[in-house]
Amino acid sequence: MGKVLLSAFLALSFSTSLSQAQSAWTGGDDLPTNPLACDATPPTATAKPYDGGEPTNAPDRKGKTLEVVDVPKLVGIGYFNATSKGIADAAKEMGTMNAKTDGPSKANIDDQITLIDNYITSGVDGILFAANDPVAIAPVLKKALAAGINVVGYDANSTPDARQWFVNQAEFNGIAKSMVDAMAAEIGDDGAFAIVTSTFTTPNQARWISEMAAYQAKCHPNMKWLETVEAQEDNILSFNQANTLINKYGDEMKGIFGMTSVATPAAADAVTQANKCGSISVVGLATPNAMKPYVSSGCVKSVVLWNPVDLGYAAAYVLRAVADGDLKAGATSVKAGKLGDLSVINGSEILLGAPFVFTKDNINDFDF
Amino acid sequence: MRLASLLRHEVLLAILLAVVLLILSFQSDKFFTVSNLLNQGRLMTETGLIAIAMTFIIATGGIDLSVGSILGLTAILTGVFWQNVGLPLPFAALAAIAVGTFAGFVNGVIITRFRVPPLIATLATLALYRGLAEGISQARSVRGYPDWFYVLGQGEVLGVPTQLWLLFVAAILASIILAYTRWGRTVYAIGNNEVAARFSGLSVEGTKLALYTVSGFAAAVAAVIFVSRVSTTRSDMGTGIELDAITAVVLGGTSIFGGRGTIVGTMIGLCLIQALKNGLSLAGVKGDGTIMLIGAVLILAILASNLFERSGTR
Repeated sequence: MGKVLLSAFLALSFSTSLSQAQSAWTGGDDLPTNPLACDATPPTATAKPYDGGEPTNAPDRKGKTLEVVDVPKLVGIGYFNATSKGIADAAKEMGTMNAKTDGPSKANIDDQITLIDNYITSGVDGILFAANDPVAIAPVLKKALAAGINVVGYDANSTPDARQWFVNQAEFNGIAKSMVDAMAAEIGDDGAFAIVTSTFTTPNQARWISEMAAYQAKCHPNMKWLETVEAQEDNILSFNQANTLINKYGDEMKGIFGMTSVATPAAADAVTQANKCGSISVVGLATPNAMKPYVSSGCVKSVVLWNPVDLGYAAAYVLRAVADGDLKAGATSVKAGKLGDLSVINGSEILLGAPFVFTKDNINDFDF
Repeated sequence: MRLASLLRHEVLLAILLAVVLLILSFQSDKFFTVSNLLNQGRLMTETGLIAIAMTFIIATGGIDLSVGSILGLTAILTGVFWQNVGLPLPFAALAAIAVGTFAGFVNGVIITRFRVPPLIATLATLALYRGLAEGISQARSVRGYPDWFYVLGQGEVLGVPTQLWLLFVAAILASIILAYTRWGRTVYAIGNNEVAARFSGLSVEGTKLALYTVSGFAAAVAAVIFVSRVSTTRSDMGTGIELDAITAVVLGGTSIFGGRGTIVGTMIGLCLIQALKNGLSLAGVKGDGTIMLIGAVLILAILASNLFERSGTR
């Protein structure tokens, strides 16, 4: 009887896995997509009421020195080193903010939650975060709001009601358009490509891939989607995965998308070492310093990103504006130091700007 | 004499815990508050449940590395059974726990029937179960659980976090079983000398099979609490939790070679690690510094205990 029951459960779990596997799977999430126009028509902005949260009984912090903790997805990688540099720059410039960065050493939801929980107890004025999971982080951020702490996200969002504002580096559909257009320009409108991403559960990457699939289907319908592989945020694994793709698909595969700042240089390296420069294009999200060797050798033509230093810088200014009461529900823009006025989109998000495509001509102007 | 040396490690550890609590409460006035301590209890429950089962297993000289993966698998199945299969949530959670327990049972079968060393067997199922979790989830998180479900991970009963009650009950039950029952003594006997235990007519295989099954069950229950605490399911949940549990067990004085160990020790070890993590963070020490200090405390505690044991027994 017990055995029958157990095998029934096991059969049930296997059958659910099969029934789910039948749908075409690209590594994206299931959320609705909003692909941009195929030409350069700017997107139409839809007005949306403020949907962020509010801290309860926050003390008047106007003009006072703020104790701020910055909790990125993980510490010790170039990308988040750049965002925390931006936060530190802004804090120094303002002179009224003590900001420190403390994050998990792995992109782990539980470590990040525990860390934030401890900073709530220690009584900070503000929390800046980049979420490893939008929903998992929400309870602890709501707890921060309930304790009267100002909460602002950057890079990776939480559910809107768990924070006040989110600084969005670039809209998902904008990134998707830049990536797919760059790839189509290099491999043609009927080329086949594969993707190296971090993990399928990482929200940003999954969102970008969904938007890329939608935009590609709309504007470059003949391109062929081979496979999406996971490589964590791990150098060696990314290289091995790219190498496997090169060996697996041979001449069929014309391009590789790297979805993370780790995967893209690793994919470029794999292509270089396989002597496939010119026959396999690499397009991806990456920081310029990591990509300079491949761009100057001509192996990689386009690197898509925003400036993460500016992203951290903007997040710090947004937090200051929120604490001072200058940025309230219904605002349409916010002043962010040297970046000027940034506009509010989607109710409670602040847009840093359009994505930036680094090429051989401009990549040497950047150092991060 | 054995009892005396056992007592010595736990007493030593309890003193160490008291000293650490005292020092940490001087470092930050937020540390030694009821709300903070209860909140820490909430955060350590999942590791605690797993560590209790792990104490039994390590006391037999075994190990279970697959608990983190069983946690991930159970978490995903809770979500999938509920949302994709359409079972009511309580049944979905129970069914998922049943699969998690079965996963532990499979560990036990591999170890007892096929004589695979526990380290190898559970290393293999660590990969297997994590792969299953990722395959079944297909990268989709399950979210939007009903509010009543969050009582388990975020709610309170009589002012104490719900899951902490569960940990109390489990710890008390487990200490009684390990210290005062024939079954508990069998665990020590296997750890001390498996061959002798078998010749004494003790059910070595049956005991081990039961232990790995219970370990799977503990990880599965921890999974449901975890899901309720963070309000979402992801296939990478519980990655690395086996090391946290093993650290608590070993710090608590359970010998990795088997034959020695208590639940009280494990619980003190668990509290010590959690207090260090929390207290150092409140005192402004960053994450990497905290990990280093925990490593140092672990080595010191074990060295000190070995030193005392030697002088006591020779």
